[in-house]
Amino acid sequence: MSEFAIETREVTKSFAGIQALRGVDLAVRRGDIHALLGQNGAGKSTLVKIMNGVYPAGRYGGQILLDGKPASFRSTDDARRGGVGYVPQEIEVLDQLTVAENVFAGHMGLGRALVDRAEVVRRTAGIFAEMGVAINPNAVVAALRGAQRHLVMIARAISAKPSVLMLDEPTSSLSAQEVTALFAVLRRLKAQGKTIIYITHRLPEVLDICDRATVLRDGRVGDEFDRADFDQDRFIYAMSGHRLQQLFPARADAPRDRVMLEVAGLTVPGHTGAIHGARDVSFQVRAGEILGLAGLLGSGRSEILHGIYGRSPATGTIRVDGQALRIASPAEARAAGIALLTEDRKHDGLLFNQTIGANITIGNLSALSTRGILRPERERSAILTALRELSVKAPSPTASPAQLSGGNQQKLLFARVLMRMPRILLLDEPTKGVDAATRAEIYRLIVELAGQGVALVIVSSELEEVIGLSDRVLTVADGRIVGGFARGEGDEERVMRDVAQAQARDLAAVQAG
Amino acid sequence: MAEANVTPSRGAQPTGSRKILMQLVTGGEVGVIAALVLLTLVFWLMEPAFLSQRNVRAILAVVSFVGIIAIGQTILMVAGEFDLSVGSVAGLSAVVAAKLMTAAALPVPLAVLGGLGVGLGLGLVNGLVVVRLGIPAFIQTLGVLFVGQGLIQVVTGGYPVYPLPEAVSAFGRANLVWGLGWSFVFFLAALLVADFVLRRTVVGRNMYATGGNREVARLVGINTNRYKIAAFMTVGGLASVAGMFVMADMATATTTVGSGWELTVIAGVVVGGVSLFGGAGTVIGGVIGILLLRVVQSGLVIIGVDANWQQIAVGVIMVLAVGIDILRRRYIASGRTA
Repeated sequence: MSEFAIETREVTKSFAGIQALRGVDLAVRRGDIHALLGQNGAGKSTLVKIMNGVYPAGRYGGQILLDGKPASFRSTDDARRGGVGYVPQEIEVLDQLTVAENVFAGHMGLGRALVDRAEVVRRTAGIFAEMGVAINPNAVVAALRGAQRHLVMIARAISAKPSVLMLDEPTSSLSAQEVTALFAVLRRLKAQGKTIIYITHRLPEVLDICDRATVLRDGRVGDEFDRADFDQDRFIYAMSGHRLQQLFPARADAPRDRVMLEVAGLTVPGHTGAIHGARDVSFQVRAGEILGLAGLLGSGRSEILHGIYGRSPATGTIRVDGQALRIASPAEARAAGIALLTEDRKHDGLLFNQTIGANITIGNLSALSTRGILRPERERSAILTALRELSVKAPSPTASPAQLSGGNQQKLLFARVLMRMPRILLLDEPTKGVDAATRAEIYRLIVELAGQGVALVIVSSELEEVIGLSDRVLTVADGRIVGGFARGEGDEERVMRDVAQAQARDLAAVQAG
Repeated sequence: MAEANVTPSRGAQPTGSRKILMQLVTGGEVGVIAALVLLTLVFWLMEPAFLSQRNVRAILAVVSFVGIIAIGQTILMVAGEFDLSVGSVAGLSAVVAAKLMTAAALPVPLAVLGGLGVGLGLGLVNGLVVVRLGIPAFIQTLGVLFVGQGLIQVVTGGYPVYPLPEAVSAFGRANLVWGLGWSFVFFLAALLVADFVLRRTVVGRNMYATGGNREVARLVGINTNRYKIAAFMTVGGLASVAGMFVMADMATATTTVGSGWELTVIAGVVVGGVSLFGGAGTVIGGVIGILLLRVVQSGLVIIGVDANWQQIAVGVIMVLAVGIDILRRRYIASGRTA
């Protein structure tokens, strides 16, 4: 038995003549949780796809060793049978099927010809019990929220009992509570002797759970660290080749006095699967102010934004710059100068049938056309300006957005919403699945926009982010605002305490009623 | 690095003819054009009569009828829906217009407006039902296909409507360019207008967005319902125009006008690279697909292949074309042709 569960030797891979991997030697010790770090485009995903059979043997250079022996996977299924499990970053579930059917998708027979539903459900429940999460195996996946869907995918990978499990940014859509639960699962798997490759942008998680870390930079191994040498600054230095400045940029200007957005008694029904919408929510945002909505996933944070933007039907009053408005559709919200950056780029952000350029200008075409006829030159220069201003790394404006990394896709969506110069900007998880360097750029951009007088409302699962960025934080739980504090007056603990107290009150009310 | 570290600049852009070539390749039309040229050459080499004036004219005449509908169908498919009722709508419009100008003795222009109204009206119904009630387009338009065929029988009692006023038959006989009549001229004009609209206008871009991802389109402020309804009405209107052109061409409104067109049209535009899932394809591509299928059918007749084999050829070509198109898209998406 080799000391290493999986190794790569001199692995190279190029796309359209561009070297993505320039000879990567990675060795993952058996029983370790091994972090794979690197900026967007450093080659993490490509390496993982090679180890996991997405790019089959022959389509890359170099060699993979599994337990010391050369392995060549013809397909992902081949890799799965070889004992390599993979949980992709993007959620890929079968919406119409139940949770159990998703977990055992493709293996419903459990090795036999006939499907034993009860057994499948039982095993699924067993996996969830092991993971410490409460999801009903008989629920239809369409009714689940993002975080739960991710847990289903993790359960799917675990169901094959892999010896090496690769997780690609597993926590990007999980709440703090769910991250803790996931880490407990990973520790248990580790105790069982499993080897885990953990790809992430979140350095605190590496400090928390990993045994070793490999940093990729420009398609090569930039540096390797043992647990004893773990240090956040050294990781950042190894990833970027230079030290990053302070994480959250300082605010130069204070919010103005003018109230730009006022919401009173906003109630938004919960959609299928989400228990809570928003209930009787009221708040104000001033021009140049960054308001953060903190709370757990499914607390109704996103629904508040959707209600304001006219995406979900809502009752209550919304005033924009002092004027009461009835907003029944996104088109009306946009006309009032409101913009929304949605959470899920794949699902309701990007148009994959359109070019990168068209993705930026869609919805903003009236300024780039004359009497409904597009002006190609005008559009092109607007696109190039936008790409330059946000320094989007793109092969060309006519390429597909599918070719961009997560961080660059996010910048693309920023470019789209900013093209209309909104007065009010609603941001739902603006740094989800985005690398550390792009994250810092997005923070700078947000602060810059506030400086220009835009009123911003930010929803994020990362409390550090909401609290670090916002001038004022409101805590949301069960669809209501249960607390709040100004910059410097509260911390993550206070948010968690407010949430816990609200939940305790609700529980008491239910029991009393 | 997976993406080129190139900040887009003027110099990086392909220019002139190269740009046009690139657009063709990524637009997916070059493959179907190449196939069309190749097949034409093969048939011509096997039987020079294939490119005789008479045969080419016959091909173009048929393509102009079906092609008019293909233009609408392409627009609708780009918006993410499709319409199976086009053949029935064409036939019903023809017999309604014919009845209006004969039995009701209305002036010809009014009768034609009546026929057009049938197409637009059924398009509106299709659109409203699909968009507002959420009934899949497959079911709704299949329903209208049957209803339309029934109504054709009801309106005509099962007999062809003729004689039509002399103006109509004269219109149908008119020789405008190279032995081709008004239907061909209308077809060309509609083709140019529709292609321009999809390629170069805000409406076109919004149509692609609607078909690509309806929720994204809605979030950027596009009234996707309105776009879909408009697309259904466009295809309905164009179907009725095509039906009435056939009526004029034959100087009779038979009960079989348009019968079977729905599948010919969809097969053709799909061969031309229009996606059944919405958001992809061009009007030129769709029309070339129609032309390609017609060339195959006509070519097989000319070289003396049994008629049954034509159907088989159409089926095989359609599946092949879509298969190749899917492979091509996968190739582009995998980033190997950036």
